[in-house]
Amino acid sequence: MTDTSTGQQAQILRVSTHPTTVVAVTVVLLLAAVYVVGGKDSGLVTQSIVTGVLLGGVYALVSIGLTLIFGVLGVVNFAQGSMLTMSMYIVYALVAGPGIPVYVATLLAIPVMFMFGMFVQQFLLNRLTSTGSHEGPLLVTLGLQLLIANVLLMIFSGRPKSVGTPFDGSFDMFGAIASYSRVIAFVGAVLVGIALTLVLRRTSLGLSIRAVAANAQGAALVGVNVRRVYALTFGIGAASVAVAGGLMTPFTSLTPSVGEQFTILAFVIVVLGGLGSVLGATIGGLIIGLVQTVGALYLPGTGSLILVFAVFVVVLFLRPQGLYGAK
Amino acid sequence: MKKIASVVTALVVAGGLAACSGSDGGSSDSSTITIGSIHPTSGALAGVGGLMDDGAKLAVADINAAGGIKALDGAKLKLSSGDSQGKAEVGQSEAQRLIGDGAVALVGTYQSDVTQNVAAVAERGRVPFVIDVAVDDKILDQGYKYSFRVQPDATSMGTSGAESLAKIGEDSGTPITSVAYLHIEGAFGDSVFKAFEKEAAKQGITAVKEITYPATNFSDATTQVREAAASNPDVIVATGYFPDGVLIAKAVSELKPDIRGLYGIANGAFDDGSFPQASGASGQEVLSANYHYDANSKRVGDIRTRFEKKYGKPMETASILSYQAVEVIAAGLEKSGSDDPEELREAISGIEIDDPLLAFGGPITFDERGQNKNATVIVMQIQDDAVEQVFPKDFATKDLVFPVGSNG
Repeated sequence: MTDTSTGQQAQILRVSTHPTTVVAVTVVLLLAAVYVVGGKDSGLVTQSIVTGVLLGGVYALVSIGLTLIFGVLGVVNFAQGSMLTMSMYIVYALVAGPGIPVYVATLLAIPVMFMFGMFVQQFLLNRLTSTGSHEGPLLVTLGLQLLIANVLLMIFSGRPKSVGTPFDGSFDMFGAIASYSRVIAFVGAVLVGIALTLVLRRTSLGLSIRAVAANAQGAALVGVNVRRVYALTFGIGAASVAVAGGLMTPFTSLTPSVGEQFTILAFVIVVLGGLGSVLGATIGGLIIGLVQTVGALYLPGTGSLILVFAVFVVVLFLRPQGLYGAK
Repeated sequence: MKKIASVVTALVVAGGLAACSGSDGGSSDSSTITIGSIHPTSGALAGVGGLMDDGAKLAVADINAAGGIKALDGAKLKLSSGDSQGKAEVGQSEAQRLIGDGAVALVGTYQSDVTQNVAAVAERGRVPFVIDVAVDDKILDQGYKYSFRVQPDATSMGTSGAESLAKIGEDSGTPITSVAYLHIEGAFGDSVFKAFEKEAAKQGITAVKEITYPATNFSDATTQVREAAASNPDVIVATGYFPDGVLIAKAVSELKPDIRGLYGIANGAFDDGSFPQASGASGQEVLSANYHYDANSKRVGDIRTRFEKKYGKPMETASILSYQAVEVIAAGLEKSGSDDPEELREAISGIEIDDPLLAFGGPITFDERGQNKNATVIVMQIQDDAVEQVFPKDFATKDLVFPVGSNG
């Protein structure tokens, strides 16, 4: 008995480390190849890698919220980009109005977006998600996207807005230039990733969320309040979007549709990483960021985006459940 | 499911209503003349689209307040607004709707692809269409008879951008021989770059590097700017829209390449009123060759002051072009003494408007393609957080600082 369980554990452990090792080895080999035979100035390659990793952190932040909502609720949240925009404008309003520093404003935006997410799930989506309908939530989130964009337009007009940061400027990182605000966003992404992983693995809420994700009916039978878990999950998803939006405002021009460009990429990252996997979304974000910037050295314009989708297709072909998805 | 569908419908309708609350139907009253205005007043470009629609509205109000169209017994103008939502097919159907509602002329639309579709509708409907903003050469290359454009096209902006840059280099005693060129992918960036490259070669300037970046999902310009800097150019030139322009300016100031300046041509960011704040320190002394309202003109000053008072936001160049486009139509109505679209077209094609609101020498007058012959760019520079006109001297509001940073 003991033997089998240890064997199973070893098996699980091996399977779960497997993708990380493969991804890490592949990425390192590819980057080494770019350095050695890529035919580009090495300083330029370093710059594109640093830029790619920092950008990847931002992508990961946007995707973490989406992967929770997608993985646990099965809701294809088309309002993800708009919710990102919304949190950026909340931060903007706090900075431009009472003059709160941008990172403090981000902390304040987190509970606001959490409540918003809870509200959306509780009052707009809950009945639809429990019936297992897919098109219902999809239409609601589409409507929500239009609503958020138009309300923001009405309040703030479409003129581009911007938010200053106390940490303006940049520093040298391995011969590449990295701006403070982007590094802060990257660190924020890693922290949010770790925090969420801990919540999911170590707390009873995390246990309920995982139980509901695995089998909502079964969870309900053993006394989990599924609707509440749904609402909390959507709330957490929205809260991580708030972190993303807040950390991005210092280097983004705000318009009422700025977040929408991230929606498609976030879906790519979430599917690439495996539905519901926070680690998958983080790694997926980094991969996509790297592919986009290093790829831009060779394929200008939209070429790097085509490369992103090519990588996506290849990974899904080799591993249809995504890098960290359960089979 | 049904309930949800109705909720969604309600949401969508609400969004739509919010977007087109400014529009109302055409007129049947014989003493009013309807002009159709098509701009992206919802969607990603709603900011500038709204400003443009307001610019056209102000022009109509001003003309009516001054007694309407005198050649038509003081007939009043009426502006009927359409929302293109930034989409070519929506712009097209809005143009059809406005013409169907009795608009005798159209103004619009800000985007080249939308403008192209609207121009085709105007041609079929035999209604004059005065383009306020849309840069692509192709629009007027179709041989359309009913479309007129006040602003310079992509080729002339690229060409005069190169001429101005060469002259700025000579005047400052540091002739420019090489540039690296960053531009957005697509017809706009490509056509401005090609025209620049051709004229630059004549002026002894080589484009040593051309780097294109995507119009979507572009959120960091560091790699592109570093690649541009790696070719050791005298100047980095950039053509694109607002968000990418800000990213480029920030990347240039972070990388601090050894260049004499960052120079935009037809750049949507570098001479926008929001740019100095959005770019902060990195925007200082950035140069921009673009069409621009004449900051030295008293009439422009008066219009801008009243606009800001009425709508609570500064009137950017695009909005002033919408104002100007309505004036062109009004002048056409005065000249023809008729609100028949055919006669109006005839009148506009031979028109001469002497005090243009934009900074260029010479009257607004159209060639056989419908392009304003005298439209050209001037060079602006960010100085002390303000957009100043610096070149040529006739239009200058401040002295040019070149090479950048030479001011101390």
